[in-house]
Amino acid sequence: MVVVDSETATVLRVKGLLEFRCQLDSTDEQLVRNVISRTFETLRSQVKSESCVLAVSDSPVIIWPNKDAYATPEEITPSTLCEDMHQWIQADEQESSGKKSSKKKSKKSSVASVINLRLMTEVTKPGPLSAPILTKTVLKSHFVSVTLPLDCVVCTGRSDTIKDACEQLIEALTHQLCEMEKVTLQNMKGMTLLVPEPVHFLLPEPKGLVTVVYPVGVPDSQLVAQRKELHQQFELPDDRPYFRRANAYHFPNEPYKDGYLRNPHLALTHPTLDNGKVYLVQGIYSYHHYMQDRVDDNGWGCAYRSLQTICSWFQQQGYVELPVPTHKEIQQALVDVGDKQASFVGSRQWIGSIEVQAVLSHLLGLTSKILFVSQGAELASKGRELANHFLTEGTPVMIGGGVLAHTILGVAWSETTGQIRYLILDPHYTGAEDLQVITDKGWCGWKGPDFWDQTAYYNLCLPQRPKVI
Amino acid sequence: MGRGYIVQDDVEGYLSKLCEQKADPVTGLLIGQSSTQRDFVVMAIRTPQKEEQTCTLLGFMFAIDFQVSRMLPGGLSVVGVFIITDADAKDALTTLRQLLFAVENLISSEHLWDPADDDVTDCVTLHINPKTRKTVCRTFDIKDPKSVAKPADWKYQSGLCSSWATVSCSLNVDMLLPLPNNRTSTGNMEECLKEGLKAWAHQIESGLCLIDGKRLPEDSELTVGQRRNVRQTYTTQLLITTVRDENKRLTDVIEQCGGSVSVTGAIHSRAYLHSNKPKARLAEKLLKRDVVSTVATRVQMMLEELLASDQESKGSDPGDFFFLPPFLTVPLPFFSGPLCVCDYQFSDEGLSEVTERLKEMLDIDAAEEDLDTRQEMTFEITGCDITPGGHRDMHACVLCPDCPPFCCLGVAMATAVALLATAASMLYLNDI
Repeated sequence: MVVVDSETATVLRVKGLLEFRCQLDSTDEQLVRNVISRTFETLRSQVKSESCVLAVSDSPVIIWPNKDAYATPEEITPSTLCEDMHQWIQADEQESSGKKSSKKKSKKSSVASVINLRLMTEVTKPGPLSAPILTKTVLKSHFVSVTLPLDCVVCTGRSDTIKDACEQLIEALTHQLCEMEKVTLQNMKGMTLLVPEPVHFLLPEPKGLVTVVYPVGVPDSQLVAQRKELHQQFELPDDRPYFRRANAYHFPNEPYKDGYLRNPHLALTHPTLDNGKVYLVQGIYSYHHYMQDRVDDNGWGCAYRSLQTICSWFQQQGYVELPVPTHKEIQQALVDVGDKQASFVGSRQWIGSIEVQAVLSHLLGLTSKILFVSQGAELASKGRELANHFLTEGTPVMIGGGVLAHTILGVAWSETTGQIRYLILDPHYTGAEDLQVITDKGWCGWKGPDFWDQTAYYNLCLPQRPKVI
Repeated sequence: MGRGYIVQDDVEGYLSKLCEQKADPVTGLLIGQSSTQRDFVVMAIRTPQKEEQTCTLLGFMFAIDFQVSRMLPGGLSVVGVFIITDADAKDALTTLRQLLFAVENLISSEHLWDPADDDVTDCVTLHINPKTRKTVCRTFDIKDPKSVAKPADWKYQSGLCSSWATVSCSLNVDMLLPLPNNRTSTGNMEECLKEGLKAWAHQIESGLCLIDGKRLPEDSELTVGQRRNVRQTYTTQLLITTVRDENKRLTDVIEQCGGSVSVTGAIHSRAYLHSNKPKARLAEKLLKRDVVSTVATRVQMMLEELLASDQESKGSDPGDFFFLPPFLTVPLPFFSGPLCVCDYQFSDEGLSEVTERLKEMLDIDAAEEDLDTRQEMTFEITGCDITPGGHRDMHACVLCPDCPPFCCLGVAMATAVALLATAASMLYLNDI
């Protein structure tokens, strides 16, 4: 969910493709740059013209932002409030032609909702007309043809009208085209051009959603200078990433293509302890558990799955580009560091926290701290350490002991009473990615100190964040 | 339970007259509109008789050579064929079947759009015996090469089209396409244009259509034919988005080319809708198809003319301008309804040449004053200066047969000059 700031009621996101085409008569650099700039200027005028149209997705609403926010159907006027647009949007696939019959009042929350719009062009116009002209140039030259992916986000307040929103949207689109022009010209080498692409990032309050234009195909490692500038511009700490591609904000209505659940713990109500606070994992992780990816690891793969959850965290925060490793890849890594024999690969042998630490180091280049408790009963006394871990590092913790492995996503701990609860993500779940089942049945849930085997010893692997941007 | 064809009663008179002629056989096309609910025939056109040419497939090919389908606005299409002969009924039916399949396959092969699921694929064959005036009406499914004849009804009705509706729009076209390196002949320009037109047609097809300013659900019925003899027109708007070419790699941004070709300007498009509760989906489909075919037709005609005159000026003047022929309409003479056929007028053609073509292709007697050229205008470039900056300043005036030059269409002219200027600036981006 977007928690942009308490003032935002609705986030408007407009996406669209614009064709960028021009002919380059000469290869002289300055002339080429002029042509490119001029073509961008043409696109900017197109966006500011009367033929620019915004169509609200999943609804019959169409707005002409440059015609004083004229809209169809006629019930929508320039002074309609943006948040009233939700009544016209149908969540299901059917074509809607009118308002939703049940006007359920959505509860006022600090969570803003997203309205998606498509950028379109009206090709019809009132006559009289002149017949079309076909023009032909014969000249050995170069032709530039790119489809620019525009993607702008505008935050509107409770009292903002469609007219206000249109002004902001057009300004955002024009501004993005300017940014694209800058990035295109910056990254031009001779006769090669990179496609500029907008990426959205959700920065900590009060900055909110920010859009950056990056050149497609250039890896994060080559964009360090740009990120440094951005960190300075937005006054962000320079030891953790905010602007890597993996940090891109994921809009709530977009499903994840890989099918894994993200952050199931957000669906839970957190416990309240006397003088207690809740310390949670920061950022986004995917829930990995038994039987996923067509691997039947029921009974032996729990630590592997916990490790996968941790890897998914580092990938989605932008620290690593490596995709989440498979069981075999994990096993191979352990063979490669000399921890296991070659026959280990393909086996169903368990691994523990030490192995998890070794794999995180070898495959992902990460360091982890190991915490040891000789008896499960001692874990209750580790409240401060775990709280500190989630405050500073905020990474998921793998815990192994007895015959089981789990992932700890947070603690609720009272400094005064010593009461403690653990937020556990259980890799032993064998069912489908059903958030309801997973939270109802406690596969992701808050557990008390008696969850642990009181006499067994436990090892915890606490992965550390690298200090990079 | 076969299909039922409702036919404008003037067609009966036309066919009767043909029966009285000496020629046997006489073949021709039946023009109308087929929908899932009903089938309508509004016009019959005999194949142009070329000297002793009897009814041969070639004869038909010549007639249809897109000339006829070019002259039909949206909503009107070839729905069948007829033959007037006193030959045996079975032989006549065989001939008709051959002709029907040949005609329909030829026409659909040129379409730039994909067939829709709700397209009617049944077409009608009509056999009239000139002596007995007996008519035999059958339909075939042209999607099925093994289709057998099914019986169909043929009923005449007066004033059939008087309450048909017109859906129309005026549309901007703006295409810029690269020409391949080293091969810039007209033939290659044709290939490029065809590809470009296909991509553009796809954009139009997937666009949003607003009827009278509203986005209507596909199955909603347009109120047509509520009142007789009242012209019903719907203005439409088309909204399109660029469609990403999935085949294009992200690195193929700049390519070498041998030049470019662009088509810019505006066209008028219209489609007719039958009066029996037509759905919004039909209106949208017919109009979009007309938009695509009118632009494709004009480009095709332009290319044919270029190929014929074999103009290859690669030397001093690297830029060539060609006006695509503008559109004009001719009301069908014997209707009180809104139906028109259309044609395109080349700048070197007079209106008399257009009326000749109408007679030859559609067997329509039209007078010059019947031709309505107000939908679009042509421009003539009267002068061209090359400024020190290398830009070409175009001087243009309105070419309008009855008006003096620089006639008082002030706003339109400004628009047109802007169009020309846009076209010019896209070519001459060189600052030298």
